[in-house]
Amino acid sequence: MPVRHRLLPDGHIVVTGAAGDFAFFDSEEFDRFRTFPHRLDLRKQADLRARFLLTDGAMSRGMQRLLASRIAAKRETVTAGPSLHIIVPTLQCAHSCQYCQVSRSLDDNGHTMSLSDLNAACDTILESKSNQLTVEFQGGDPLLRFDLVKHAILRIREGAAANRRIRFVVASTLHQLDDAMCAFFKEHSVYMSTSLDGPRALHNANRPTPGRNAYERTLAGIQLAREKIGADAVAALMTTTKASLAFPEAIVDEYVRQGFREIFLRPLSSYGFAKRNQNLLGYSVQDFLNFYRRGLDRVMYWNQRGLELREVYASILLNKMLSTFDAGYVDLQSPTGAGSSVLVYNYDGFVYPSDEARMLAETGDRSLRMGRIGESLNELFNSPVRQQLVEASDVRFMSDCLDCAYNLYCSPNPVDAQAQHGTMNVAAGTTEHCQRHTALFDAIFSTLRTADEDTSALLHEWAQVRETCANA
Amino acid sequence: MRRVSADLDERCGARVRRVVDFEGFAAQWEPSLHFLVRVQSPDERRSIEDLQHTGLDNLAWVVSDQLEIGDIVVARPFKGELIVLLREADTHHALLLTNRCNSNCLMCSQPPTKENDDWLVEEALETIRHLNWHPQTIGLTGGEPLLLGAGLRRVLDVIGKSLPQTAVEVLTNGRLFADASVVQEVLSGLTTKVRWLVPLYGHANFLHDFVVQAPGAFDETIDGLLTLQEHQQEIQLRSVLISPVLEVLPELALFVARNLPFIREWALMGCEPIGFALANRDTCEVDLVAWGTTLQQTRRVLRTYRIPHVWMNTPLCALPQPLWPQAQKSISDWKNVFAPECEGCVARQDCSGLFAWHERGWKPAPLRTMETSEVNL
Repeated sequence: MPVRHRLLPDGHIVVTGAAGDFAFFDSEEFDRFRTFPHRLDLRKQADLRARFLLTDGAMSRGMQRLLASRIAAKRETVTAGPSLHIIVPTLQCAHSCQYCQVSRSLDDNGHTMSLSDLNAACDTILESKSNQLTVEFQGGDPLLRFDLVKHAILRIREGAAANRRIRFVVASTLHQLDDAMCAFFKEHSVYMSTSLDGPRALHNANRPTPGRNAYERTLAGIQLAREKIGADAVAALMTTTKASLAFPEAIVDEYVRQGFREIFLRPLSSYGFAKRNQNLLGYSVQDFLNFYRRGLDRVMYWNQRGLELREVYASILLNKMLSTFDAGYVDLQSPTGAGSSVLVYNYDGFVYPSDEARMLAETGDRSLRMGRIGESLNELFNSPVRQQLVEASDVRFMSDCLDCAYNLYCSPNPVDAQAQHGTMNVAAGTTEHCQRHTALFDAIFSTLRTADEDTSALLHEWAQVRETCANA
Repeated sequence: MRRVSADLDERCGARVRRVVDFEGFAAQWEPSLHFLVRVQSPDERRSIEDLQHTGLDNLAWVVSDQLEIGDIVVARPFKGELIVLLREADTHHALLLTNRCNSNCLMCSQPPTKENDDWLVEEALETIRHLNWHPQTIGLTGGEPLLLGAGLRRVLDVIGKSLPQTAVEVLTNGRLFADASVVQEVLSGLTTKVRWLVPLYGHANFLHDFVVQAPGAFDETIDGLLTLQEHQQEIQLRSVLISPVLEVLPELALFVARNLPFIREWALMGCEPIGFALANRDTCEVDLVAWGTTLQQTRRVLRTYRIPHVWMNTPLCALPQPLWPQAQKSISDWKNVFAPECEGCVARQDCSGLFAWHERGWKPAPLRTMETSEVNL
């Protein structure tokens, strides 16, 4: 029975077992656990057995079956088939963000999906057998081609069984949102996902528009959506730029001020246009961790004051660590969810395994194309690209992951590796993805170990499976 | 079991009978059933005896003010007892299927016997056949009902067929579900909807096995729970709050929450001070008030993981107030009493009260008369 351990920066040791349960030790107790576990206190022995961290000899049939059921429950999301389908109807966008990899200006005509491709994408989505289907529109700014968004939603709704649950999300600046769009979105229960990077100055610096009023216009869009579609119709995401690093508290406070109950402190992916401007825009893993730690502390500060605010990144990690059910966060699934639980139908007529993969294509690396829009789900699944992705992200076989204490919570991100190293076959430990996540797991384990009852209850609450988390 | 005193017709024998009154029995009479006619005068008794002489051998008379019409009863002539097996006015209905058991729990309220008692299955089937009303729920208890294998299945099938509206609960330690032949006999193709009440007393083998005094029991019960889950059966997990269980309760709750999230609910139960519990008083007698912090910690774990749970056989004054919404008025009608301290207590109407035999045993905590000012409901 695999039992793995890791020394935390605080000097304690976390031990993780085959079901994902864990226990903390100080170094003296850990030595006893390794050498003479039967000299541990009996209560501690019972706790370790119950967490699949200690057995004497072969496990009994009952415990073997129990372990198998735990692993099956955790894997359910991985095996459930494609549940997130992303359509990129256009790359047009009114913003000209420095770090953005893909967007094209409004007068650009060549970066929009053809109607026949859009229809074919919708039909492929309808092939999916997954219970929980999410269809997300990304860009560019999809609302610049509301006609295509509307066409796709109607086509999918008409083609689906009446009782089938389909969640639609439109990721947009919301600058173009108007009453007519709201009415349509309300009628079809469509959610908005927008970008809010922080207070006015930071947001406007990150997201330049000719009128220098991206912040004001996005806030107006949020207000309109809440009024006309529904109070919970809008979620916001932030991107951490180099300029953001100094202002974690102000960013969190901005989310509180705007009435959001979730914030996702997201690092900037280091490829695409961002890669070319590495010196201007890039920052180190350690820079992000410092920023993240301060931001998370600020989120806790608000919760302690009775304000409900959930940090999504921590929730994803906590779900992996604490929950017996996996929320299915794509980047930490093994094998990767990219190309398996997620498919991206891009304006260029090709299907990609993830949002990052189609962005990579814009920088010239088109190696992650799974096939053309119109190919069946079966063909896409059997594509060589998907096979490569699966092989490059199976923690049961990857040398850097085999002995990692976070083996069951984490996974290499082959799309990320392709972007960073030009190949997905690199030692996981050399990737930014690995460095960031091991450090984040370390930090959250340390927080959990010393958490008082209220904090612990809050962290466990965040760990529960939710839709927003699954599709973040 | 509810025993009643009665002046009983010697022809009553040891048959299961339905209690009817003198005015009503003619309308209910049918040759395949047996009746006990509650008579209220010598004339009525004589009329029954006259009918017996004409050859109606499925009638007997009884004089008792403790019987109700519709009761299903059986006499134990060698003990001079009349037992009420089922009574419509009760909220809990149960049939004892066997006294034998493969465990030997420290706090067993009904210590097992070794003798073959297969006749109890036949008696249960007769009992069901004699019902002319539909219990909302019927509990099948032991001993260990799985020891009966096909006999248990017969009872389940008959209830499913003749009492389709009745919910069935089987109290079992689940251990024999580790045996494929028992699974086949009892669960294969089962159409009667059953809730299985399965006890668990620890999160590691040596903890649970000690409480049930049976090596290997933990592994078999875990195996059995997974088998029930595999057969899409509804499970209520049960734990009796005695010292060895309370000592590990929060960690047991974590084990349940993480490993058995498929259970329908978890019943945490005060110990019944009777049977083996009296002999093992040092482990079974607890003051729940002194364990208040443990109970609160347990509740926290169960709320975090959203595991539905109920506190049973626990008077409200023995529980921290945050637990009250999950506390059940659970003690069976005929077992239930209140103490002098309960007079004037504002929480009494929502309270489970006490087991009738607490006076010979102990109370679950020092009882208190709650006043309005200390109760925030």
